[in-house]
Amino acid sequence: MNAFQATWLVAGRELRESFRRKTTWIIIAVLLVGSTAAVVIPDLVGKDGPTSYDVAVVGDATTFGPTLVALGPAIGAEISITKIADAADARARVDHGDVAVAVLLGDDPTIIVRSGEHDQLVGAASQALATQALSQALASAGLSDAQIAKVFDIRPVRLEKVAIETASRRGASFVLSLVLYLLSLTVMIQVANGVATEKSNRISEVLLAVVRPGPLLFGKVVGVGLGGIAVLAAALTPPVVKLAVGGNLPQGLGGALAGSMIWFVLGLALFLTLAGSLGALVERQEEVSSVMAPLTTILVATFIVAQSSADSSLGTVLAYVPLTSPLMVPTRVAIGVSSPLELVMSVVLLILAIGLVVRVGSRIYGRAVVRTGRRLKLRDVLASSDNRVA
Amino acid sequence: MDEGLRARGVSQRFGSRVVLDDVDLDVPPGRVIGLLGPNGAGKTTLMRILFGVLQPDAGTVEWKGRRATDDDRRSWGYMPQERGIYRDMRVHDQLTWIARLHGLDKAAGAAHATDLLERLGLADRAKDKVGDLSGGMAQRVQLAAAMVHEPDVLVLDEPFAGLDPVAVEFLSNVIVEHVRAGRLLLLSSHQLDLVENLCETITLVHHGRVVLRGDVRALKAASPDRYLRVDVTVEPEWLGRVDATIASSDASGSRLRLAPSTDATAALDAVRAHATVTDFGVEAPSLSELFLQVAGESAEALHDAEATA
Repeated sequence: MNAFQATWLVAGRELRESFRRKTTWIIIAVLLVGSTAAVVIPDLVGKDGPTSYDVAVVGDATTFGPTLVALGPAIGAEISITKIADAADARARVDHGDVAVAVLLGDDPTIIVRSGEHDQLVGAASQALATQALSQALASAGLSDAQIAKVFDIRPVRLEKVAIETASRRGASFVLSLVLYLLSLTVMIQVANGVATEKSNRISEVLLAVVRPGPLLFGKVVGVGLGGIAVLAAALTPPVVKLAVGGNLPQGLGGALAGSMIWFVLGLALFLTLAGSLGALVERQEEVSSVMAPLTTILVATFIVAQSSADSSLGTVLAYVPLTSPLMVPTRVAIGVSSPLELVMSVVLLILAIGLVVRVGSRIYGRAVVRTGRRLKLRDVLASSDNRVA
Repeated sequence: MDEGLRARGVSQRFGSRVVLDDVDLDVPPGRVIGLLGPNGAGKTTLMRILFGVLQPDAGTVEWKGRRATDDDRRSWGYMPQERGIYRDMRVHDQLTWIARLHGLDKAAGAAHATDLLERLGLADRAKDKVGDLSGGMAQRVQLAAAMVHEPDVLVLDEPFAGLDPVAVEFLSNVIVEHVRAGRLLLLSSHQLDLVENLCETITLVHHGRVVLRGDVRALKAASPDRYLRVDVTVEPEWLGRVDATIASSDASGSRLRLAPSTDATAALDAVRAHATVTDFGVEAPSLSELFLQVAGESAEALHDAEATA
């Protein structure tokens, strides 16, 4: 049996056992529901916004009314006109919310609106008033109705709110990073716990009599890692489906998703191998969290920097460092501050780091996992002679 | 002895502590071989070295007359002192998986697992998790895990620790069956009296050194010591001028160690003068008595070691 077969046997066991556990399915279900809700609910909420306005008009609305109604599509709404006899009544109706806006026509046109509401509608009403004034001026200058209509036959200006797009990209990258961060943390602890359990149960002793430390450690990493990726797939399915059917995803999320997978997978390989090596140092299961503290601290710190200042120079530096790039790069891609050089360098450095960690890690693991009796220090394990046949 | 397993000149130290010092061990086929000694003697370390889990500071492990390789070792079976199996994995799945690690394909592994569970009386627990089984049953699963690939070499580290008499009897039968088929078996124990009638050849280690080795019957016959066993508790002053000492006393009576050329009947008469003896016997030394003699330690030391087991 070669190393690849052994690795795959070990990984296969991890995967099968993981999908036998109820907790795995519960996590997948929760993520699937949460992710679906995150994709679907904004659409529903968006459709609940005002899509039709009642506008009260005082005065002769023969030209103003149709002009304003024609502007409706420009603000994404249907506008209907109600004629009101006097200004006081119109004012009261606005105040009670019976109508969105009231317009007093005449020599001194006035728009009445409750403070802070219906900006777009007010803009449309202003535009209609201006149009009306202009068409009257053109008529008195001697243009025919057809000529005037031609003057105004231009597409109304469409309003695009830039700030909303940026916010949604930040939001998407935050949610994505949070999911990746929590998942990395969970599977890391899972690997370390698994190794610690095997050590304290003397299972690793039996396994080491049959399989070399490398396949044993990396098989666990691959198995638990694939389990984690399956869980991530559950979380990512709703947004990907929406992307595929052409839904209105926040801009940048698609690229961030695809890119994140590369760094997430490589990052998992790195962190899980480290976690497995460190897990072999403990004597009792309760020591796992303390031995893992350096790794979790790095993860937490990177997550905070990624969320608060991914576009800072610190963020740029951390995008290159193998231990921090898996969380940093996807965020930087999502908010659009990463350069192609940075992406390539980051992946290359990450892959080199994985190669190194797998070599050193399986050595630490092979030495530490059979030395029971007390909590081991990493330095002592590295300094000791190689316990296994080369 | 080209067909067996052997270790030559094995030494191992952990830091400044010498765990094994130039130890030789022979495991020929067809015999129950015991690696015996008190706790901390180095038995488990030697077994780990046999399996290549540890690389010794000095010495070699040989198989069929040449250095043992990883491939050789994959065909052996090892049961460590405690547990050594996944508690949250189902019994049959676990055995099949271990068989595959040893190089069997899935179908063959599953078939072996089914057969073995049948033999060990666990067929109806095949789908249970190991953690849900009783201690005795879990121990049988452990044994099954070491045997599922039908190894030529079976190495059991303290297989009797914590077993009830029924389980001891059951395990002994499995062991005898294994060696009668011409295969190799090595077991370790610190409970010398428990394995006295099972082991045919022993290697006794103490503080990392071999202190006694050989065929059990030959070792006993070669000893000049004789012991008088009586079913009453003997007081030292009863012995008077008889040249004998009380080797041990417990609820079932006393064992008197007779000096060479002491008349056993004189010692028996001395005891009878104080109490009624309904059962007695003149016996060769037990394994633990042989051990105490060569190790030069008091009985208390051995008992202390056992008590901390």
